[in-house]
Amino acid sequence: MSLESYEYIKDIAKKSIRTDGRKPMDRRQITVKNGVIKHSDGSAYVEFGETKVIAGVKVLPGVPFPDRPDEGGLIVSFEASELASKYETDRILYSVEIGRVTDRGIRESNLIDLKKLSLEPGVKALFVYIDIFTVNNDGNLFDAANIAALSALLNARFKIDGSDEEKKLPLNRENLAVSSTFSKIGNTMFFDPNVLEENAADARITIGISNKINSIQKGGIGSLTPEEIDICAGEAFRLKQEIKDLLMSQVKD
Amino acid sequence: MYSERLDKRAFDELRHMEAEVGVVPNADGSARFKIGNTEAIAAVYGPQEVKPKHFERADRGIIICKYDMIPFSVSDRIKPGIDRRDMEISGVITNALSRAVMLEEFPKSMIAINVYITQADAGTRCASLTAASMACADAGLPMRDLVASVAGGKIGDSIVLDLTKDEEDLHEEGATDVPMGFLPSKNEVVLLQLDGKISQEDLKKILAIGKVGADKIYQMEKEALKRRFLDENKS
Repeated sequence: MSLESYEYIKDIAKKSIRTDGRKPMDRRQITVKNGVIKHSDGSAYVEFGETKVIAGVKVLPGVPFPDRPDEGGLIVSFEASELASKYETDRILYSVEIGRVTDRGIRESNLIDLKKLSLEPGVKALFVYIDIFTVNNDGNLFDAANIAALSALLNARFKIDGSDEEKKLPLNRENLAVSSTFSKIGNTMFFDPNVLEENAADARITIGISNKINSIQKGGIGSLTPEEIDICAGEAFRLKQEIKDLLMSQVKD
Repeated sequence: MYSERLDKRAFDELRHMEAEVGVVPNADGSARFKIGNTEAIAAVYGPQEVKPKHFERADRGIIICKYDMIPFSVSDRIKPGIDRRDMEISGVITNALSRAVMLEEFPKSMIAINVYITQADAGTRCASLTAASMACADAGLPMRDLVASVAGGKIGDSIVLDLTKDEEDLHEEGATDVPMGFLPSKNEVVLLQLDGKISQEDLKKILAIGKVGADKIYQMEKEALKRRFLDENKS
């Protein structure tokens, strides 16, 4: 039997065993480097095991949305690149979903004070563009995208309209919403799934937490029980702290 | 504080509902579901050959569901066609229905489901999922259970069921929106999303109020399907 077969992964999952030897709630080794792209205003490179993503932030002036004349904007895109993997699911749909869930966590936690990005109400405001690309997909792109976006935002410095003054984004840093993703294989939940586990999984849940729950996205064609959802929420409250500490330890100033 | 709802409903009260099946005679199955001023029409075509071919699965059938808000469904005009929001919603509805329909019975086949939102007043993905589930049953597809879907949430300090657009927009009260889809007789959650700001305890309460609402929607779905078969026997 191939070590990569779904049947094998499902079979050992019954005993809470994973192909890479981790316990169900263990995270893979994680590396976060920021400031890796010279031409961006903020950037980050994140690795979880063999999952690698890169995020870049650009802060640019634009016209405010008509329904929010006194606010700037946040625009997040995610690309599950063709370069990074073959995909078992619809790659375009997957990209849109991850981009929108990443956006939701940042937006709902009010990490960025969008009102402070207004330059002239109704006429001009700053827009924060976050573009996230996959370099190699070994699963859990949701959390990798989230952490890369947060790191790039925390360390962003930008200049506006030819001024030499370097500015920071108006962030409520206590509101970092950290994403935790779990795959359900059989009846067991596994944190930070690798791509083999994702493909063998019945369902997935991604939970973004600052000090409260800011975002949830259930995925996959299986189901979850209310009890499983509650257990994952509890774990996500615990797991977020390590990432918060890591991200904050890298902030200069 | 949100002590009385804008439309005077009780906190755990659903809006007025209408459900009927067979509204698109050309389709293999179809349904209309209306809740308050939100209305969805769903049509099922299939099982049929998979297009595009590379989505085909040897072990099971697939569902391809398209959710679309028509241009005049909201107060502004929406550009016709599928945007990023529509794509995401189509995906979560597809996932939910893929658990409900016994796809293992239809290897190498595709079930195409199209949903139009004709009127929108919040809860459109939930109404779509409910309508699409009824349409699948109307098409005679074998199912584990119907899906009953409703949004719950929190406004101020109150846990509420079936939010309207005006309630979702109560940003000062910090509205949290949680669309949910259940297989009601199986204690399974097949759709779950959240945006807002709530505690773990509140999430439990919202899932519980959502199940209460879903059980009522489930009754409406079953009655609509039964009416259809009674009508057929008469003619």
